[in-house]
Amino acid sequence: MLNQIGVVLFIVIGFFMVGSPSLLDKTPLSDQSVYDVHLALGGEKVAHEINPEIEGVSAEKGKELFHTGVTTKPNGDKTKKQSKHFLCTSCHNSVQEDPNLSNPNPEDRLNYSRSEGLPFLQGTTMHGVTNRRTFYNDDYRYKYGQETVDKVKTNLRESIQLCAVGCAQGRALNTWEIESILAYYWSLELQMSDLSLTENEQTEIELALNEREGQAEALELLNQKYLQAAPAHFHDVPTDVKKGYEIEGNPENGKLIYEMSCLHCHENGRYSYYSLDKESLSLKHLAKHFNKKNSPYNSYNLIAKGTLPVVGDKAYMPQYPMERLSKQQIEDLRAYVSQ
Amino acid sequence: MTVTPNQNNMKQSILLTAICMMTVPFLFGQKVYQTFKDTRVINTHSTEVLEKGQMDIRIGHRFGDMFGDRGGWPTFYGLEQAEDVLIGAEYGLTKDIMVGISRTKGSGPLGQNVNGLVKWRFLEQNAEKNFLVSAAFVGLMSTSTLEANDEGTSVTAFQKFSHRNVFHTAILVARKFNQRFSLQLGAGLTHRNLVIEGDDNDILNFSASSRIQVTKSFGLILDAAYAVAPNITSENGFYPGLGVGFEFETGGGHVFQINVTNTSGILATDYIPYTTSNWGDGEFRLGFTISRQFKI
Repeated sequence: MLNQIGVVLFIVIGFFMVGSPSLLDKTPLSDQSVYDVHLALGGEKVAHEINPEIEGVSAEKGKELFHTGVTTKPNGDKTKKQSKHFLCTSCHNSVQEDPNLSNPNPEDRLNYSRSEGLPFLQGTTMHGVTNRRTFYNDDYRYKYGQETVDKVKTNLRESIQLCAVGCAQGRALNTWEIESILAYYWSLELQMSDLSLTENEQTEIELALNEREGQAEALELLNQKYLQAAPAHFHDVPTDVKKGYEIEGNPENGKLIYEMSCLHCHENGRYSYYSLDKESLSLKHLAKHFNKKNSPYNSYNLIAKGTLPVVGDKAYMPQYPMERLSKQQIEDLRAYVSQ
Repeated sequence: MTVTPNQNNMKQSILLTAICMMTVPFLFGQKVYQTFKDTRVINTHSTEVLEKGQMDIRIGHRFGDMFGDRGGWPTFYGLEQAEDVLIGAEYGLTKDIMVGISRTKGSGPLGQNVNGLVKWRFLEQNAEKNFLVSAAFVGLMSTSTLEANDEGTSVTAFQKFSHRNVFHTAILVARKFNQRFSLQLGAGLTHRNLVIEGDDNDILNFSASSRIQVTKSFGLILDAAYAVAPNITSENGFYPGLGVGFEFETGGGHVFQINVTNTSGILATDYIPYTTSNWGDGEFRLGFTISRQFKI
């Protein structure tokens, strides 16, 4: 009798073990990519999945293009430099730059960048770009024109090309180069471990994955945990530049911004003819330009609008949207250089 | 008043401390950037070279004597005359080597010159690597394209093509002491293939140049060149080249310089052997240089 009960119990337990995927086939949620979970929860595919039919595509080559501007063609020759003036890394990081992806803000990003040794840049990081749905958002229509932005807004490939030709003022990329950069970007896609999920939220998503119930709610929860689109709103320039934004600045933060942001491009003329350093002459020059009225080189104006290219050259300074440098931080910078 | 040993020691200590304070910012840290703002000081080359792939279009001008026998109101203080003009282009081959070609009017007997330049910066001031100075080698060759004349004893008879050529080489050593002060010393040799009898084919020369940065975009530059050769003496009417200038950097790739110098020639192949203008007689002139850089 006992033997029979034991056999029945064994069969029942075995049934549950085999029939329950949550017990057997279980990659921890933290090890899964956000996109895979998104799809598993019924989310839509993105338009920029890799096209395997394009020859010569390589994430490694995409990485080289991103970080150095050159790579080797499929035939082994070296490509021409993508841009004489910039690299992608002039304006974009390739790693996480916000501590909490569901609440990206420049203040938290500055502290996080300092602790991680990252530059503090105008452009959004490419970490997680493949998880986004739209690009060149909001006020970028003023910079590039509505027509241009409409063409690229939902198309990451076209956005990469616009960046190459417009932002970087370089040559157009070949199809295999764009696809290689895209392949590199896919290697930077978000993982579930990147998201700030509470235990309950994690459980909710796991249950939705395993039990196939509440998937729509879980998907909505997931989408709230990272940016679907990086917002970009440009600053206005203060009416009275002497008064500025009338916020008291913190020179300690200003020093961080100067060293991690301004000097990233301007130190010793790295990406600009206008060279800056940590010496007093440079700081005084910037401080003077915060007060300069009616000048395109007023520092507030430069931060809010960037510069036009100088005659005979194409390089220019891109502006800082509010989401990348806040008014408080601009005043922090002013407080530092004006000391 | 006799200076006591203690006061001597104190003065030496103060001097040593001052030197250390000036150089301390550059004892720690990276490569030094912009010892000078331009590849020239006034006439003398600096240790700066163009970045790789950078092209520099240059225009230089030296007006006539401000005062003296050939200056004053009749020539509107030299502004109505052009002692020398340079139009040229230079290019950064590598991060340490630049080449250039230019055409100069020439202020000496050899004129309508086509000039070739090579400059190699073989040392860059870098505190981390214990390089306390930057150093460069400059090579310049000038070829006069004047039409040969019939006077057999003239330097412009050009009975051989080689008679048209003048060469200048120099080693330059510079140090950026701090953000406001840089100093450069140089030694060179200028060789003229053909000279009149009694003149010197080879002229040893020394230079001293300095930059004093007043604001980020405005600096004061000083330049001196001294030629050493048996015939190059003040008794024979030759004088050291001395210049002072103001340098403006616009931040958009432009460096504009305005200077006052007694040298008529812009290039070393001209001003080393042929500076006969004397500051003391008012024989100095206004000059300017415009430089615009492009990434190619």
